[in-house]
Amino acid sequence: MKNIFKRTGIFVMIIIMITSLLSGCGKTTEETISNENSNMESQDESNKEMVSADTPGWKEDTSPITFDWYLNFSWFANQWGGDETSKYITEKTGVNINFIVPAGNEAEKLNTMIVSDTLPDFITLGWWESQVDTMIEGGLVYPLNELADKYDPYFYTVADPARLGWYTEEDGNVYGYPNASYSPSDYEKYDIYSNQTFLVRKDMYEAIGSPDMRTPEGFLDALRKAKEMFPEVNGQPLIPFGAHEFTDTGNYSFETYLQNFLAIPREKDGKLYDRTTDPEYIRWLKVFRQANEEGLIAKDIFVDKRAQMEEKITQGRYFCMLYQNWDMQAPQKALYSKDPNSVYIAVPGPANSNLDDPTLDGGGIAGWTITMISKNCKDPERAIKFLSYLMSEEGQKDVFLGPKGVTYDTIDGKDQLKPEVKELLSQDRSAFDKMYGCDNTYWMLMDLGIQSQWTPELEEPLRQPQEWTKPYVQFVGQYDNITPPTDSEEGIILSKIQNKWGTILPQLILAESEEEFDAIFNEFLQYREEQGYEKVVEYMQKKVDENKEKLGIK
Amino acid sequence: MVKETTLKNCTSKLRKKKKINKFWQKLKRQKELQIMAWAGIIWMIIFNYIPMYGIIIAFKDYSIIKPISEAPWVGLEHFVEFFKDENFYMVIRNTLGISLLKLIIGFPLPIIFAILLNEIRHIGFKRTVQTISYLPHFLSWVVLGGIMINWLSETGIINELLIKFGVLDKPITFLSEPKYFWGIAVISDIWKELGWSAIIYLAAISGIDPELYEAATMDGAGRLAKIKYITIPCIQGTIAVLFILAVGNLLNTNFDQIFVLRNSLNQSMSEVIDIYVYRIGIQSARFSYATAVGLFKSVIALILLIIANFVTKKLKGNSLF
Amino acid sequence: MINAFKRKDKKEIIFDIFNTCLMIFICFITLYPIWYTLVLSFNDGTDAMLGGIYWWPRKFSLESYKAVFQNIGIIKAFGVTIARTVIGTVTNVLFTAMVAYAFSKKDLVGRKVYLTIGIITMFFNGGLIPNFLLMKNLGLLDSFWVYIFPTMFNFFNLIIFVSFFKEIPKALEESVMIDGANHFVIFWKIILPLSAPVIATIALFTGVFHWNDYFFGVIYINNPDLQPIQTYLYKVIAQATSNQMLMNAPGGISKANITSTSIKLATMVITTFPIVCVYPFLQKYFVKGMLLGSVKG
Repeated sequence: MKNIFKRTGIFVMIIIMITSLLSGCGKTTEETISNENSNMESQDESNKEMVSADTPGWKEDTSPITFDWYLNFSWFANQWGGDETSKYITEKTGVNINFIVPAGNEAEKLNTMIVSDTLPDFITLGWWESQVDTMIEGGLVYPLNELADKYDPYFYTVADPARLGWYTEEDGNVYGYPNASYSPSDYEKYDIYSNQTFLVRKDMYEAIGSPDMRTPEGFLDALRKAKEMFPEVNGQPLIPFGAHEFTDTGNYSFETYLQNFLAIPREKDGKLYDRTTDPEYIRWLKVFRQANEEGLIAKDIFVDKRAQMEEKITQGRYFCMLYQNWDMQAPQKALYSKDPNSVYIAVPGPANSNLDDPTLDGGGIAGWTITMISKNCKDPERAIKFLSYLMSEEGQKDVFLGPKGVTYDTIDGKDQLKPEVKELLSQDRSAFDKMYGCDNTYWMLMDLGIQSQWTPELEEPLRQPQEWTKPYVQFVGQYDNITPPTDSEEGIILSKIQNKWGTILPQLILAESEEEFDAIFNEFLQYREEQGYEKVVEYMQKKVDENKEKLGIK
Repeated sequence: MVKETTLKNCTSKLRKKKKINKFWQKLKRQKELQIMAWAGIIWMIIFNYIPMYGIIIAFKDYSIIKPISEAPWVGLEHFVEFFKDENFYMVIRNTLGISLLKLIIGFPLPIIFAILLNEIRHIGFKRTVQTISYLPHFLSWVVLGGIMINWLSETGIINELLIKFGVLDKPITFLSEPKYFWGIAVISDIWKELGWSAIIYLAAISGIDPELYEAATMDGAGRLAKIKYITIPCIQGTIAVLFILAVGNLLNTNFDQIFVLRNSLNQSMSEVIDIYVYRIGIQSARFSYATAVGLFKSVIALILLIIANFVTKKLKGNSLF
Repeated sequence: MINAFKRKDKKEIIFDIFNTCLMIFICFITLYPIWYTLVLSFNDGTDAMLGGIYWWPRKFSLESYKAVFQNIGIIKAFGVTIARTVIGTVTNVLFTAMVAYAFSKKDLVGRKVYLTIGIITMFFNGGLIPNFLLMKNLGLLDSFWVYIFPTMFNFFNLIIFVSFFKEIPKALEESVMIDGANHFVIFWKIILPLSAPVIATIALFTGVFHWNDYFFGVIYINNPDLQPIQTYLYKVIAQATSNQMLMNAPGGISKANITSTSIKLATMVITTFPIVCVYPFLQKYFVKGMLLGSVKG
């Protein structure tokens, strides 16, 4: 036996030697990345003639080219070239796209591409992902401003200065451009809605006399009445109150949503405010505890994942919900077609003791995803020009309405989708994507502000919840991107605290008495203290201050 | 060696030389066998051992921007953090609890199933059962998990049945009670993999020499006797090997399964090492930490395997090595 | 004597009845979820969400299946999967069995060291990133062969092979050995034909692995023409778990991409059906007496 280990030991040593040699090789490939920047300088000397900022650069060269485009969203199921819109754009610009979409764990795929320097031409990912900074720090992506200066000044014509400002890094460069981004000034220009709503099932709500649910008493009473009048829905027990899925770090409904409905400020006197310890917030968490004690909170909400929730919304099993209204469009349509009265409508929900209006989050300046061009890009000139095209009003229109005469026409003086196209859109979105591919099937650079001129009026039942949010929407973009990187000291502390909160929150709601609630809550506060929460707050405060400076707020 | 006389030294040298000669002769005789073995070894060096340098990040602070060689050493810091983690005890307890139950209950059942299936005389029926029983293996846990959440809910089919048969008075939301989680994990795993795991035993049984059975029949042995005295001893080797491997796997839980069945209420019984690594390592992008936990797991697994190998060797004379 | 036989008969009949009932029960509980999956996949998607379907589709519809086949390139993906499954299985079985044959010889010089080397590979691995860099350096990225070479050998399979090879009578080999045949010939002409059950088993394990694997396709392949069929399935299924990502998505996006349960299940049925069909064909190799027959012949 001993002998084996000895011999194996020698063997292992040999292996280590071999591997260190090989990993040495790996390193050299990684080092070459930084050199590529200088290669690019000399790459296109031929392109001397200066193009003006008014002429779209993409029109100059429409020879066929195929870009690989990585999307960090495993659910994206479309392929470029199968539908009318993408065919039309390829014909127009010469650009064909091969989307690379991971299945399952997105981070795994992206990380391996970063480490091995095999990023494709374009990368689109959520702005909150840690890989954004990684790619910038690693010098793996082009500064868009450099590319624009060199090849396509038109980029500046179509880019929104506020967004460029927001995404300007410390070195003065812009590495990515967002989609679905709203600047503070957009809030004056466009109708902006929020996703955050308190929804009730219309027929039930009316049957119990459309009560005021803003106060704890009114809220609990409504739940009691609903449960009494409608113990069952289609033979299954009613779920009086519905929320988002409970995750490892908590629950949106019982955090941001509730806090926003209670109009708890995010900062006071220029300092970040601790919303979790706000008395109004605790008061309402205790209301939910009370509701649970009375049997008004079903176990389902702790157990169900998204698929089960979607099923239950379709069945109309919830009486009321603190939930994202954009996420339940398919179930809403199904309910509507069965009985227009059984849909969910937005009503005033939990409020603070002053009964202040809620403050709901609208889209921020950071937007949703950002798109970057990697240094491996086979033709950065065409890439930046194509990017500018997609950002321009013409590109926005193409992505939103598709080719004229095929998917849209000018009807009643307004450019809008043809009736049969619209019909399919409302019937079967995925078939629509595969056939027509407009209406932001390719959402990578969609600009909802520009597109709002072509957006048709929403139809019921989707319209009411959206419209309801309009007066209460607030710009909260300055609070985006303030959490510390996950592998930093503050990030580790924060993730521990969040994980703790994830286990504490259900306990709070399930607590048998107010005393127990207080004890659990204090335990959490103590834990937070011990872990060093101040450091996290300090970090976030710094980031908020920077953000506000960027946006020119106060 | 030093104290020995030169004469003795000479003879021992001679003997050694002879031994070496013999060794080379033997090696020469097995030339072809060695080529075969080394084909496998070389494959393992390339595809298993070369990437193993990645393990060193467990002792470093690695971030993906820079190559591994540039990451600073931190020694055992990540291991210490893991051992000190307030959830360490809970995670180990759940992992071992679920795995041990799966080993104790889930390991013998496929063997029993294979033996009993082998006793079915009607060939068509036998094959049908065999085929049907292995089907659940192909259902993905993500889909199956969704079905299970529905069935185990308060209004699900399980509660309906249990109430109908008078086992329960009022429905239980099984997945919201931590105490049921291990049971659910073990039973659903057995149910899904029973037929699949039995395949290898069926193969072992079909390798048994039929003459043994014929001889036993002549001696008047009944079927139960034949199972006891022929079937089981003949597949004992396979059982031993798979048992050793199963023990080595004790720290591996079925990630996909646990991932879909766990929720905020049963977390205290469902948080296992793999989930912990996923949460801390993958979601928070702390590669070094995740690798350290993984390495800890590997070392324990290897030790368990060696122990299991030793014990089965002593008890039954069967072993891996 | 006669009495004893009768008693035995009775006992055996009871045993048979009990056994048959047990098997029927097992069939039922394993078949039902499969049936449930089929039923839901053939039901109208929106209708299925209303729940309450247990035994039979309420609103029969082939729409989900149509939707799956609308995916561009799904046929090509089937081709890739079939190719990798066939080539991958054959290479893995032959290669692993060959190495296992050498390992099964008790007097193999260095056997214990070799086994230790192999066992270590079962527990330790360098993680995804070093593996990825290795594939890159070997030029296997975006190549069909990334499905084959890295999966050509498996130590777990080797152990199974070894434990089976040990049971093969030595006399047989020795008789051929005297005729001057070398080990390659013995392996090919004697060992392989004698090991039908274990080869069928390992081939099944490997084949199912290849068929079900999506990971290699996701990580190492960017070319859509080389994606296996499981990638489609996984993308559809992954939507169930990626909902948190959508929290930040603005209106108009999330709803677009959530697939109904029926489509998910239909995708699963389509992608797993072919491999499920393989088993009944392999079953004939699990027939008793293969070994004996060939020894005698």
